[in-house]
Amino acid sequence: MSNWKNLQSRSFLESSARDRALGLVDEGTFTELAGPFDRVTSPHLALLGDAVAFDDGIVTGVGRIGKTPVFVISQEGKFIGGSVGEIGGAKMVNTIKLAIDFHDDLVAKYPDLSDAEKPVVVISFETGGVRLHEANAGLLAHAEVMDQLQKARGKVPVIAVIGSKVGAFGGMGFVAAATDAIIMSEFGRLGLTGPEVIEQEMGKEEFDASDRALVYRTTGGRHKYIMGDANFLVEDTIEGFRAKLVDLAPLPVADFEAMRRIGSPEKVEHQLKLVALAAEMQPKDAVDVWAKAGNENAPGLLDVPFAEFVGSVKRLSV
Amino acid sequence: MTHHDTRKNWRTRAADTAARKEAAAPLFAKGKEVLAKDTVALLEAVIRAGDVINIEGNNQKQADFLADCLNQVDKSKIHDLHMVQSAVPLKSHLDLFENGIAKKLDFAFGGPQAARVAEFIENGKIQLGAIHTYLELFGRYFLDLTPRVSLVCAYKADRKGNLYTGFNTEDTPVIVEATKFKDGIVIAQVNEIVDELPRVDIPGDWVDAVIESPRPFFIEPLFTRDPANITDNQILLAMMCLKGIYGEYGVTSMNHGIGFLTSAIELILPTYGAELGLKGKVCTHMIINPHPTMIPAIEEGWVEAIHCFGGELGMEDYVASRPDVFFIGPDGTLRSNRAFAQTAGHYAADMFIGGTLQIDKYGNSSTATAGRVAGFGGAPNMGCDPKGRRHPSGAWLKCGAELPSLDTLTGSVPRGKRLVVQGVETFGEGRKPVFVDELDAWKLAKNANLDIPPVMIYGDDLTHIVTEEGIAYLTRCKDMETRMAAIRAVAGFTEIGLSAKPEETKALREAGIVKTPSDLGIDPARATRDLLAAKNMRDLVTWSGGLYNPPARFRNW
Amino acid sequence: MALHTLEFELETTSGTASIPAPTHVGVTGSSDLEVILEPAPAGKVAVRIVTPVTGFDELWKRVVKKFTDETALAGARIEINDNNATPAVVLLRLKQALTQATAA
Repeated sequence: MSNWKNLQSRSFLESSARDRALGLVDEGTFTELAGPFDRVTSPHLALLGDAVAFDDGIVTGVGRIGKTPVFVISQEGKFIGGSVGEIGGAKMVNTIKLAIDFHDDLVAKYPDLSDAEKPVVVISFETGGVRLHEANAGLLAHAEVMDQLQKARGKVPVIAVIGSKVGAFGGMGFVAAATDAIIMSEFGRLGLTGPEVIEQEMGKEEFDASDRALVYRTTGGRHKYIMGDANFLVEDTIEGFRAKLVDLAPLPVADFEAMRRIGSPEKVEHQLKLVALAAEMQPKDAVDVWAKAGNENAPGLLDVPFAEFVGSVKRLSV
Repeated sequence: MTHHDTRKNWRTRAADTAARKEAAAPLFAKGKEVLAKDTVALLEAVIRAGDVINIEGNNQKQADFLADCLNQVDKSKIHDLHMVQSAVPLKSHLDLFENGIAKKLDFAFGGPQAARVAEFIENGKIQLGAIHTYLELFGRYFLDLTPRVSLVCAYKADRKGNLYTGFNTEDTPVIVEATKFKDGIVIAQVNEIVDELPRVDIPGDWVDAVIESPRPFFIEPLFTRDPANITDNQILLAMMCLKGIYGEYGVTSMNHGIGFLTSAIELILPTYGAELGLKGKVCTHMIINPHPTMIPAIEEGWVEAIHCFGGELGMEDYVASRPDVFFIGPDGTLRSNRAFAQTAGHYAADMFIGGTLQIDKYGNSSTATAGRVAGFGGAPNMGCDPKGRRHPSGAWLKCGAELPSLDTLTGSVPRGKRLVVQGVETFGEGRKPVFVDELDAWKLAKNANLDIPPVMIYGDDLTHIVTEEGIAYLTRCKDMETRMAAIRAVAGFTEIGLSAKPEETKALREAGIVKTPSDLGIDPARATRDLLAAKNMRDLVTWSGGLYNPPARFRNW
Repeated sequence: MALHTLEFELETTSGTASIPAPTHVGVTGSSDLEVILEPAPAGKVAVRIVTPVTGFDELWKRVVKKFTDETALAGARIEINDNNATPAVVLLRLKQALTQATAA
């Protein structure tokens, strides 16, 4: 089933966390760490009488793209919505830590190492954030992942790939935003507060979570690409995402710094300009902003075929 | 002495109608238009206590504004109404009984209000006439249940009363014809009153009043199944259906019931079906609503004709662009018609395939549960062997020829049989067993004082059961004992299934009465979502060349 | 209420099929399960099931027995994390796991 060649043309949206991890790196190079055969399951869920998973819903491992060692984290939305608890969080933290340590060792041993030979981290998000069943441990894990992202900065590029059913929301929405580069498909969604929670807190008039067209034009890949919250928009296949990773993996870490959306005085300045624009425009809908970005066919923008969209869309600049 | 004096007055209904319309005369604004604010007054003018009333609404479009207004009439004047209508899915339909405006109900489908229908029958708020099929009820409109006043709905009207019902014509023609040609009164709520209609679906002289509703009529996208929610097991069942039934009998004409199994079948036609070489040999003529999951098969050229009971939200442009397949008017839009589609589904189609909540050990099936009077709409007409059918077809003859006991009834004269297939997983939602010793319909009959348990499909009409365990070819069973053994053999781990005797099942498999996936040459490992020609809503849009426009709640991009 | 763990062994006498290499299939999604199949000597199939649902121990034994009978499995270790899967889903996943194990 999980044959690497068959996986390439497969829908990324349809693919399990393990198939994504396997297919994003070069054929035959993926080695899973703390995988299902290690049977590290959540002690909290067992106590609560809830079903457990052999990998706690997160696949971690290492593979290669070309010359670049790639540390992979891949979240499984079908297991409790991809929520991050103690075990899964620890797997994320230690995978990034492993990548940093590996980088430091390599650079110490081989000072002349090319950029292409230095490791990167790829995180395939599919999560609503903290697993409520183990909230404290889950929150702590989020903080620790953030900590590792800061430590990786300037050394090990961290690339987010988002194109799975659940999207990337909650605390993990913050984590995704703090990565160096974000690749999305049109089926990916990225946000902080999930649509259902917004509706619950603010009412159906403010945000109708059952209106999926509204949800996607507020959090979906095409919108995020126009807004600059996502760096790249790719086709919904594993090879679509992989091709972009092949482009990015060998780049010097400084190039990734330029791709960041947040995290420096210049980026803050840029974000403030966006806030000012929003205050001035008072948009009623995402479509207003797309029009502002110069798209003539703003209302129909979600429906044009993917290739046409990527080829012609105007992205917001401030 | 004059002849005239002794003759009975033959025009009492016409005179009564004229009197009622006279009372309503001041309410007409321009032509046949009555303003929305005067609707309650209009209903009070033309309806009398005890009238037989129809509110249009099937499981798709609803004359919801008129239903709401009927609830606001003065019940000291208007009460004891006898409601005759296809379906009662809206809260307002049942409120009429709660509010003491209506008393008696004859219907076909309860939908979301099924629990309230059961409760009201039990506590006497509803005096139940009968639960019908759609065709059966339509028939009675022209016999003993003719509406005195009908409240119908349309997209558009002009001020002469002409109606455009278009894509969602559904039940309107049959209701209006029965009502108007017996001197009844027809009131239509429309989304828009215009000067010129795209086409006339209902002539203006059959309509007494048109009202521009303050909001568009309620309509439910009931036949849209998101491919993202199809499971591997449904795909396994779909593979078995295609190979073991569609292919085996060469079924060209059929109705697909609503559900994920039939959606899975539709979506593997272009993949697994093509692999089996079935293109052009099965599924060429269909009586179905415009299912979005049919798009890939239509685009791949599998289907020659589709006639529809009703429309389906978002499919308007796609359907209009495929006039070789669908029934499109001179104006370029679909005209659905439930009465004709049901007639075709009953007499013309070779197969019905659908699902159910329960099948008993004899093969009777029902979606009725102890606390819900849901009715079955059109399923029983399509899910039965039409005794009046006289035209032959390959699948019909093959199925009939399999009946071991045919000669005990018709001697040496051959006769065909409609294929009636129920595809179910042995355990349904919440691990409820689908195969049961006794249908819950019996409990419902007791609770709601029904004369007979509401059976959707009777065992003698059912020809095939498909489960993850295999296919039971019930037509090939010589007697009830064999039928029951075949049912047990595919009932899996339910109590019924556990009572199967291994040696009996083995004999049935050898006789070709039961076939497991491996008997059919199907590898369950291939039953994955990779076989689906479209895996999500966006894929369907792409297949349609951008012509399908799914409702907002179904979008995934 | 803690998770329910069910362990049992099935004697196999006539089976010939074996598991060439450890295999993992599936996700513990809602109404679904994951399974690990591992090689073991012929003669018995050892089963361990972890599930939130109680009261179906006999059913589990019947389902797994049907799987081993149909596939003529001679020896294996089967571990399942279940989240309310129906017998139909259990059988399907077991068969898919065996197909993957023998294809590898």
